Order: sequence, then structure tokens, then C-alpha cells
Amino acid sequence: MGDILNVSHLTKRFSGLVAVDDLSLTVKERQIHTLIGPNGAGKSTTINLITGVLKGDTGTITFAGKDISAMPTHKIAQLGLGRTFQNIKLFGAMSVIENLMVGAHKNTSQGIVNFLWNTKRAKDEEEKMRAHAEQILKQIDMYSHKDDMVNELPYGLRKMTELGRTLMIDPKMILLDEPAAGLNPSERQEFIQHLKDVYDSGIDLFLIEHNMDVVMSISHYITVINFGAKIAEGEPKEVVNNPEVIKAYLGSRFKAE
Amino acid sequence: MKSRKNIISIVCLIAAVILPWLFNSTYYLSLFGQTLINIIIVFGLNFITGLTRNMNLGTAGIMAVGAYTSALLSTRLGLSPWIGLVAAILVGFLIGRGLGYPSLRISGVYLSLTTIAFGEIVRLVLNNTTSVTGGAQGLTNVPVFSIFGIQIQRGIPFYYFLLLFMLLMFWLSTRIVRSKWGRAFKAISDNPDAAESLGIDIAKIKILAFTLAAIYAALGGALYGNLMGYLNPSTFNFDFSINFVIMLMIGGIGIVRGNIIGAIVVTMLPELLRFLGDYYQLVFYTIAFIGAIKLPQGWPAGIASLAKWIARKTGLKSRKEG
Amino acid sequence: MLNTILQLAVSGAALGFVYALVGIEYSLIWNATGLLNFSHDKIITLGAYVAAGLFFTKMGLPIPVSFILSIVVMILVGFLMATVVLNPLRKMTTIFTIMGTILFGKMIYELIRLLYGSAPFTVPGLMTGTVHIGSLVIAKSNVYIIVIAVIVVAALQIFMQTTKTGKAMRCVQQNKKASELMGINVKQNIRITAAISSVICLIIGFMVIPLYTVSLSMASMIGLKGFAAGVVGGFGFLPGCIVGGIVVGLIESASVLVIPSVYKDAVAFLVLIIFLLIKPTGILGKKS
Repeated sequence: MGDILNVSHLTKRFSGLVAVDDLSLTVKERQIHTLIGPNGAGKSTTINLITGVLKGDTGTITFAGKDISAMPTHKIAQLGLGRTFQNIKLFGAMSVIENLMVGAHKNTSQGIVNFLWNTKRAKDEEEKMRAHAEQILKQIDMYSHKDDMVNELPYGLRKMTELGRTLMIDPKMILLDEPAAGLNPSERQEFIQHLKDVYDSGIDLFLIEHNMDVVMSISHYITVINFGAKIAEGEPKEVVNNPEVIKAYLGSRFKAE
Repeated sequence: MKSRKNIISIVCLIAAVILPWLFNSTYYLSLFGQTLINIIIVFGLNFITGLTRNMNLGTAGIMAVGAYTSALLSTRLGLSPWIGLVAAILVGFLIGRGLGYPSLRISGVYLSLTTIAFGEIVRLVLNNTTSVTGGAQGLTNVPVFSIFGIQIQRGIPFYYFLLLFMLLMFWLSTRIVRSKWGRAFKAISDNPDAAESLGIDIAKIKILAFTLAAIYAALGGALYGNLMGYLNPSTFNFDFSINFVIMLMIGGIGIVRGNIIGAIVVTMLPELLRFLGDYYQLVFYTIAFIGAIKLPQGWPAGIASLAKWIARKTGLKSRKEG
Repeated sequence: MLNTILQLAVSGAALGFVYALVGIEYSLIWNATGLLNFSHDKIITLGAYVAAGLFFTKMGLPIPVSFILSIVVMILVGFLMATVVLNPLRKMTTIFTIMGTILFGKMIYELIRLLYGSAPFTVPGLMTGTVHIGSLVIAKSNVYIIVIAVIVVAALQIFMQTTKTGKAMRCVQQNKKASELMGINVKQNIRITAAISSVICLIIGFMVIPLYTVSLSMASMIGLKGFAAGVVGGFGFLPGCIVGGIVVGLIESASVLVIPSVYKDAVAFLVLIIFLLIKPTGILGKKS
């Protein structure tokens, strides 16, 4: 199995403060990889660096074999790196299905001049997008909500919409920023199940997560960072027993079963 | 609900067809013609300012370039106005790209500044290249269109010509708004971070929206020259550009049908409020100002929600609820 | 030739200082509210009409008295603008904020037109005459403009650095949310900023009377060129406005050496577009 994402010696400073410090990590294909660390450890900065929202000072990031260190966000997404946001970022003025269909934009090929002339092809393309969106909505059990305005949906369903939308870009990997945040235990179980289904459909997952139940139940591999630097990595069982990790992050509150 | 909308549309269309026979004078026909042209231009402005929410304050300048390009080709070179129309589309495209690229690569209010600057430059050039454009004296004898050798005379025939043109542009606009582009336009203004994360190139989409706006404006300008028969640089001033944005706001930004309402209201209002005389402008700008602050969703939607509110207050239930 | 160049340099610098003050006047509001005040040229015009039209010409008061009374009026105009326009618009989408300020400006414009008509007038004897330095002849108005502008900039600087209100203004500029949390009254801050901005507009309106006479459109060009100054120097950054203003003024003044003078007004706008292409952050702008 090859690597889907490779971060190597990545460093980012904000006016003297080191947010990410010589960080290296590898996400292997067919693996659910989770990044954990205490608050302020540099997780968000790492995500922003990988997705091109921020540019690193030094170091390289490769995704699916391509160097993405200097690429703008939309190009990285076009390579097949999907993401969700910690605070859910949906298009509030649109319905659920429209939100998903925006996700299909990059996979369509018809130019605007051709669109205006070739009404037949335009119609076909639109219908194909809609069918794709409907199929994904069925997959995540949201088909009955397809015409609801996203602003009127409860939190859990908005989170699902966001996941569905990122599935529309045909991602190779999805980066999930705290997927369990804000969900109640039953919603959380459901969401994890959906994530596992997504993974089983062939899409790799890279999570950032706080909730240790979630981390332990889904991860194949864990990287722990603190103060922007990697302090441990390995299989979940190894990591939670690592004294370094317990000291930095888990404290004495958490003991592996 | 949908069928009611269709009935309203058909009634409006019939009214538009009958209208010139009810007000059959050169003055009114010219006013109606201008209204139709303004509607077309607001359709365009709706893409960039209505949907992507980037302010274009140079519509009049772009319109002027379209108008003069077409008119000069037909008056100075004797080419058919149809060729002028195609040329106007072409310059609209070039303006959209040329002005959109510097202003829309970076986020901020830059488009509003460069479009104002562009409008001023255009007026200065038109005023001072007297040997070509006629300068402040204006350009006269702009010809009319002909179809299969039959001239479309100014007056009722040209009114119907513009009406057909407007309907064509309405159809195109509606299609674009409901397509992946319309969704992309909305998405990048609604949540740019999310749009980017889906692989959408924000700058490219904004430039596309602005280019569409510029093409519509240049096209409208060319038609304006054909409608009036003469052009003068002073027509295409900053106030004219503002008026297009007011039309957009009154109808409700982003709503294609609203564009029509806004354009009709703003173009016809001077007629209805003629009794105000010299106070007209002050009243008009004050109304528009209050509308901008109090009814940002546009007048039709604003009035509808106001009616609902009154109905609730007075204890009457609206038909839909009751 | 040297004389021509020097003369152009002086008039260019004077214009540049006007643009710089315009840049400062709208940047203050930009920094306090995040709104671009498109009515600022009308506020400048209003200032000139209040001082020269109302107090000086109509009421026959001496110039200094007219000016001082005008300051009071303009402070009230600033408060009005803050209450009616800036505070309500602050939370709205950009296109409404832009249109709101434009329409407010149009209302002021129409009021002035209805009250004073559209005929321009002058203030006889205001900053007229010339100064001779060797063979160089300089209009006194240019010297006045430069001196007044430098005084305004210095006074503003002292105010921002030393007074509590000035410090609060700088805080709000840095971070609006944090300032609100720290207990700075943002609305009050906007009122004060708008008043200061309006007074600067009055000063601009007054000092350009010798250049443009008092007329309805007296400030439309300097208003727009002030925007160019901001883009060239670095948007929302006061030292940037000064540098940008002077650069634009000098380029514009020098342009008559190479292009017909009727196109002089287009130069600032071309400079604006070129700067957006090659250096959108402006000369002194920080990387975002």
C-alpha cells in the first residue's frame, strides 16, 4: 500500500510563535488515520496547511503523489482531497441537494458557451449531477431531506449534508475536522457508522478528533502532536499507553481498557 | 403556487404586448424601449452584484463602450447594426476579462473602485476624441436593424424587437442562474471557504460573473444606440451606473424576475412622480436609501412580508395559512 | 524646463496632499466600521458650501468665524452620518453598505442643489496670489494646501497617540470584536470617528476652493482620486494614504509632459488599475 498523504518536515511560524514545528506524518492508503493533541497543539494549523489555506514556511506536503505545498486550496481539492469543517460551512441559502450539487461543479466539463447553445447536453449534465447527489443522499440516509433548506436543519443533519457534499467531489481522501463535535451520543454512533461506510467504499480518511471514544473506535493509526511537534504515533493501543502521550495530553484521566 | 406564478407571467406578457397600442407616442415608446434595455442590463448585473455580491459601479461606462462600438461601426464604416451587436458582445467580453482580472483576483472592494475608474476614463475619452465620437456634441444617425431587408422602424416594431430580445435574455439568465454556474455564483458569496474546499476557483467564477455582466451591459448599450438614434457621453454617467444597482436592489438581489420589476420601477418612476418637479431626485434617492437599509430583500419580498405582518397583527389569516 | 518641472512638482505635491487628506478622511471610517464611505466627496462639498456658502457669503461672517462655525456644523453632520448610515449599515452585506453610503451622498447632493442651485461661485481673496522664489512662481494656494495638510496630519497623529479616544480608535482598527469585549463603545467610537472625518472633509473642501471654486461637482474627482491614493499607498493604512496621495499627485502632475492635459484626470485611475495588477497591497501595504 502506498501513501496517500505525506507531510514532511513542515514548519509554520506566526510572528515568532511556532505553530507547527518540523512535523512529519504519513497517511497510508486504506487506513483511517487520526491526528490528536491537546488544545492549541497546532491541529487546526496543520489542517490549514494541508488544505492550502495557509502556506508553510518550510517542508513539503504531497497528496496522491503530487507536491501540493504551494498549491491553492481549490487545486488541492481538485486532486481529490475533500474536507469538512469544525464549525460546518454550508451554503445557507440553498437546499440540501443544491449544496451537494455545488460539490459536483469541478467534475463537470461543459463550458458556458456550449451550455447556452447545447441545451440537450446541459440538461443531461444537470440531470447527471442531480442523480449523483440523490444517490449520495440515499447512501447517507438523507434523501427525505433533499429539498430542505440547510439553515432549517438540525445540527446533526447539517453535519451529514457537509459530509455528503464533500463526497460529491469524488475524493480520494477526506479530511474531517472534529467530526464528532456537537453531536449527541446516538448521532455520534450514526455518524461513525457512516464514516466507516465511506471508508469501505474506498475513500481514505484523515481525522482530527477530540473525543477519545470516537478516536479509539474508528482509528487504525494515530499521530499525537503537542506544541506543533509530533510526540508519538502508532496503533491506538500503543499510543494510549505511551507515557509521553499520557503526560502531554491524556493525563491520568484516561486509561486504556 | 407554481401555476399562480405562471398565470402572473402570462398576464404580464400580454400586458407588455398590448402596452404600445395603449401609449402609442414616440415619447412613451422610447421610454418603454429604455425600460426593456434596462431590464437586460440588470439581468447581467444580477450575476456579479446580485449573486456573487461584488459591486459593479461602472455599468454605464461598459454600456457606453458597447453603444459607441456598435454605433461607430455602423455610422463611420457603414456596417450592419447586427455586426455592431456582435462587436459589442466582443468588447463586453474583453472589458469583463480586462477589468475583472485585476479587481477580482483579490478579495475586497476593489471591483467597485476599478469600475468607477473605468467609467470615468471612458467618459473622458469619449468626450475628447471628437473627430471619431463627435465628443460632447454626440453621435447622430445611428441606424436601425433590418431583418431580411426589412427595416425594424423605431416605434412599435422596434419595441417588439426589444421585447423579444429581453425575453431571450430572460431565458438565458434564468437558465444560467439555475445551472451549476448560478449555484457556484451563490456559493462563492455565501461561503467562500466551503466553495474553495470543493475545488471551485473563486477568482475564475467571479471573473465569469463579471464578464457576463459586462457582455449584457455592452449589448444593452448597443441596443440603446439603435433605439435612440443618437449618443452622448454625458448620458453614461455615474448616476446611471447607480440606477442599475438601485433597480437590482428594488427587485431583490439575485432574483431574475425581481430584476424586471426593479428596472420597470426605476425607469418609470420619474413619469409617475413628475409632479415632484425639482424635488424628484431627492425623493427618489431617499426612497432608495430607506429601501436599501430597511428592505434588503427587495421591495416585492419586503411588501409581501409586511402584508403578512399586518395580517397577523390584525388577526386576519392569510389565505395560505387559513 | 527645470522651472516647469519644479512648478509641476509643487502643484503635484499640493494635489497629492489633498488626495492624502481624502485618503485619511475615508480610511478613518474604514478602520472604524469596515465601510467604504462613498459619500465622502459630498461631505467635502457640503463642508465647502456650509463654510463659504452659508456662513461667509449668505451671513457675511469673516472667514475665520465662518470656518469655526462650520466645524461645529460638520461635527453634527458626522454624528448624523454615524447614526443614520454607518451604524445601521455596519452589519449588512457589502453591496448594501456601498449603496447606502452612495445614496446618502446623493441625498446631501440634492439638498445642496435645491438650496444653492447649480451655479458655481467663488470666495474672492481666499488664498489667492503667488509667491516668487527666484524665477519660480508658485500659487499661494498650493503653499497653503501643503501647510494645512501637514498640520492636519500632525494634529491627527498627536490625537491618535495621546488621547484616550484616539487610542480607542486605534484599538478598534486593530480588532473590532476584541475592542467591543474590552468595553470600548464601538458605536460611540464610530460617532467620534465620523465627526473627525467630517471635519477633515470640511478642511479639504475649504482648501480646494481656490482650485475648483465652490460647485456641486467640486469634489467628485478628488473623492475618486483619494481612493486611488489608498490603493497605491496601502488600503486602510494612514501613512499609506499620505505616500499614495503624493505619488498619485506627482504622477498626475508630471503626466502633462507626455500626454494631452485633457486626459490628466484619467491618469490617477490608470495608476489605480495598474497598482491592482502589479502590487495590490500598495506601496506600504503589509502582506495579507
